[in-house]
Amino acid sequence: MDAKLKQELIQTFSERLSQAAKMYMENCSRCGLCIEACHAYASSPETRYTAVGRAQNIRRIYEEYFKKGKIAKKLNEAVELSDFWMEKVYETAYTCTGCRRCMTYCPFGIDTGVIQGIAKMMLITADQEPKALSMLADMSIAKGKTIEKTKTNFAAAAKNLEKEVLERWRSEGGEDVVPLDVQDANVLYVALAGKHSIIPAAAIMNAAKEKWSLSYFEAVNFGAFVGNPAKTKEIAGRIIDEAKRLNVKEVVICECGTAYRVMKHMTGEKPFGVITFAELIARYIEQGRIKLDKSKLPGKVTYHDPCQIARQGGIYEPPRYVLNHLTDHFVEMTPNRQANWCCGGGGGLVAIGEKDFRMKSAKVKADQVKATGAEVLCTACENCHTQLSDLNEHYGLGVEVMYLSDLTAKALVQD
Amino acid sequence: MVNQIFYVITVPMVYLAVAWCLVGIAVKVARVAKTPAHPFTLKIFPDKDHPVPSAVWGALSMPTVRRHNPTFWVFLILFHIGVALLILSHLDMLPWFNIYPEDSPNMIGNGAVGVVVTAAILYFLLRRFAGPLREVSVPADYLLLFLLFCVAMSGDIISWANSWSENGFVLTKQDFGEYLNGLFHFSWADPAETIDGGHYVVLVTHVFLANLFLMVLPFSKIMHTFFAIPLNKLRRG
Repeated sequence: MDAKLKQELIQTFSERLSQAAKMYMENCSRCGLCIEACHAYASSPETRYTAVGRAQNIRRIYEEYFKKGKIAKKLNEAVELSDFWMEKVYETAYTCTGCRRCMTYCPFGIDTGVIQGIAKMMLITADQEPKALSMLADMSIAKGKTIEKTKTNFAAAAKNLEKEVLERWRSEGGEDVVPLDVQDANVLYVALAGKHSIIPAAAIMNAAKEKWSLSYFEAVNFGAFVGNPAKTKEIAGRIIDEAKRLNVKEVVICECGTAYRVMKHMTGEKPFGVITFAELIARYIEQGRIKLDKSKLPGKVTYHDPCQIARQGGIYEPPRYVLNHLTDHFVEMTPNRQANWCCGGGGGLVAIGEKDFRMKSAKVKADQVKATGAEVLCTACENCHTQLSDLNEHYGLGVEVMYLSDLTAKALVQD
Repeated sequence: MVNQIFYVITVPMVYLAVAWCLVGIAVKVARVAKTPAHPFTLKIFPDKDHPVPSAVWGALSMPTVRRHNPTFWVFLILFHIGVALLILSHLDMLPWFNIYPEDSPNMIGNGAVGVVVTAAILYFLLRRFAGPLREVSVPADYLLLFLLFCVAMSGDIISWANSWSENGFVLTKQDFGEYLNGLFHFSWADPAETIDGGHYVVLVTHVFLANLFLMVLPFSKIMHTFFAIPLNKLRRG
């Protein structure tokens, strides 16, 4: 590794040392309590797949470049930056899903996600990050810059979805089935790139007679996955600008955990509310704006709490409220809510592939699902859905993995 | 020569160690305090209604440890309460504190507190030699615990084993109190002039190790004493 790159990496590290990061670097007592917290370690007991194991890769570099004293460095096993240690940095960044379950074990609450953030930014500096994530982030940013040119095509694509939406919920005369650019809308719905994320949501919002508008932008934030704060902000900024332009009351994020966390908690104060689609469905049920037919969902149903909306967002009860209106056979996973095991697909792992590692590291999740005896496994996050579907196939779980929105749309009672 | 070394350890080095420790702590805390806060919340849900009291209680009672490793938690609680009592019992040697009767030869807890703390440190040390914890431990972890163990062990000899003579305590709490009082009043008096006998060398050892510990403290993870509450506050929003 040449001296120039080394210097740039130290500079990157230094820029990521917030107050929290500094405290995390200096105060871990390596008590080992977090070891049992990680799904990857629980599935494949290797110490490198623990919060403390991953953090030590970064902490040892910190000891070398940000601490003084030769003896102290030796005693803390400080290491110089090298190609080998950049591989360890990669391991820290991309064997962790950022689920933050370890935070609920650590006596100090050390956030591995913050340490992972340092690792990811170092990889970007060294041009060693997964290129798929950077490219996807750049594409999102480019779309923001050229949106005016693509609006017509987008509107045509949205129009093509009408038939399938109407199959789920008949529309009133003159009503836009998939509305765009609705000024002063109550809801700006931000979907993912794919009709599975739009059709059920459109049917539900139309059934609730909502004044809503579909965002031109996809919710997913690859800037967050790759760990680039500037790109994260820019990608989220496109949606924020659109919401301000339309003067909407609320931005409703589709079933994408990271998109929700970024929009709700990582982009500062905004002149509109930010909620998950699960919360919106729960609200419609509570207000009597939609009615659901329980007979559409026979058999046992369980729910996987996506880390980014549950532990990271506090959205524990709304999905359960909805499920209890969809079925009389809802069963909880054990553990659940804050203690739920991560599915193993977050942090960009699903997007970059890594299927062998994802399957190996999530055996504990597969066992957890199996133990419920459920026939339907419901979740409210695209990443989780993909990972759980892969687990279903890999471990032969025999469940049907479904989105909460899809289950709801299928159970809508037509008046 | 030996007497001079003993004097340096028991008087000037104590002042140096305490000053070093206090300045070190202040510098460390100030450095963290002036670093910009993290750009977004690091809170874990569900929300706590009162994040500050909750962070204080969380730092002191360590509920996550109790939930996930009750044995470790028992030793941690015993250790931390024990250390607090030991600090108090050292202060109790001074004439203006009277928690234990002034004429009692015993420290608070009659030596038992120190023994419990020593046992806890031994547990912390031994658990590092097994399983995955061994893989993540670094030499500093073992050495720090070993140093603490030696401080505690030498303290036990003074507070407890010191009484295992036919006539009871060889050196009394009052003897140590006079030494501590002299330090507090910057008398620069040589404690050897008032404390004598075979146990004096144990006192010197204890003071030397404690001095070392104080000097190492600002550079060690013992700094969590000052950061445990702010750290716990971060996850509570």
